[in-house]
Amino acid sequence: MPILPKKKVGIVACSGEEMPEGTVSRVAALKVLEQLRPNDTVTICLPLFLAGGEGDRAFARFYPTVAIDGCEKRCAARATEMYSGKPAASIVVTDVVSGNGLGPIRGSRTLNEAGMQAADLVAQEVAHLVDGLLGRTGREAEEAAVEEATAEVSEDEEAAISLCSCGSGIPVQKVAVNGRVVTLIALPAIFEQFYQSGKRPGDGTTRELLEVTRIYNPIPPEEEAAYAQALAREYEKYCRKHAV
Amino acid sequence: MSPNRRVVIVPCSGIGKTFGTVSREAAYTVVEDLRPDTTELVALSLLVLGDEEARAAVAGHPTVTIDGCRLACATKMVQESGLPVARSFTVLDAFRKHRDLKPEGISSLNPEGQKLARVLAEEVAEAVEELGKSET
Repeated sequence: MPILPKKKVGIVACSGEEMPEGTVSRVAALKVLEQLRPNDTVTICLPLFLAGGEGDRAFARFYPTVAIDGCEKRCAARATEMYSGKPAASIVVTDVVSGNGLGPIRGSRTLNEAGMQAADLVAQEVAHLVDGLLGRTGREAEEAAVEEATAEVSEDEEAAISLCSCGSGIPVQKVAVNGRVVTLIALPAIFEQFYQSGKRPGDGTTRELLEVTRIYNPIPPEEEAAYAQALAREYEKYCRKHAV
Repeated sequence: MSPNRRVVIVPCSGIGKTFGTVSREAAYTVVEDLRPDTTELVALSLLVLGDEEARAAVAGHPTVTIDGCRLACATKMVQESGLPVARSFTVLDAFRKHRDLKPEGISSLNPEGQKLARVLAEEVAEAVEELGKSET
């Protein structure tokens, strides 16, 4: 199996613009992404996710996600489950507000003080969930929070992330199959692993490539031959490019 | 314009990029500042996930989408939900016309980004006006 980039947690916020709680979800998500756990989290763009953004959907297939919803309609959690997989954890702003006895949240565009407090509480809760999902507890989590505040992303990690079309950290590659362009998840990592293990273009390698690619991507049986042809062609290109 | 001739505004909702923030800010500027009596903001996710209330709000009213980038998620999703889009705008197009207004920041926009949102909102407000007239 290809080695995928460092495990991260995807944050999906409902972002509902029409209600203040939607803004709380957005502000809380950004606080986690930008301040509390910037190196451990990525945003999953809900509209792109809904519109079929393969990179974002791929991320949620591989990695745990936390859904932050403004209200009980739970659009972010439902969309994640519908298009990818059940979120590892889910928070509803209205639950946090009532659970902490906060005053009425007002201001869809600019939150009132209660709204900002709610965003802080939600963000803290999400950061704890992220720590839990990454297997950190107690002191380890506290240390990680300090590291997050000071750490730089390594060059290697940046290189891996840059392979991805959506910034989620999953490498993807666009390939022409049967005259149309499809996005194949993890293909750059698969090619790299095949190449490093000395596998060179040929019928046997193509068959293997097809099987490994199938783990991460749906390949319709009637299109297997076309996919095999495309994989063989792209892998040949990859090998030519990497040959010393 | 009477309530049953209001125009629905659907921004892209993206939170990962600056252009998404500009689209949202433009949408708020239209519905709160420029055309508060004739427009209504509807969240994209509610529409796409089939929320009856959101669909009812859109049905029978002209819809204007404001997308962040050329992926045009808001426009595509409204159309795929079986609802017509009367006019669509993108932040990217607005930026092409106003290269001096380079937006930066996601949580909070820089002054150029705020200005770009305002310029775009004014364009959208004009479209709202035209759509209102064409309905009378």
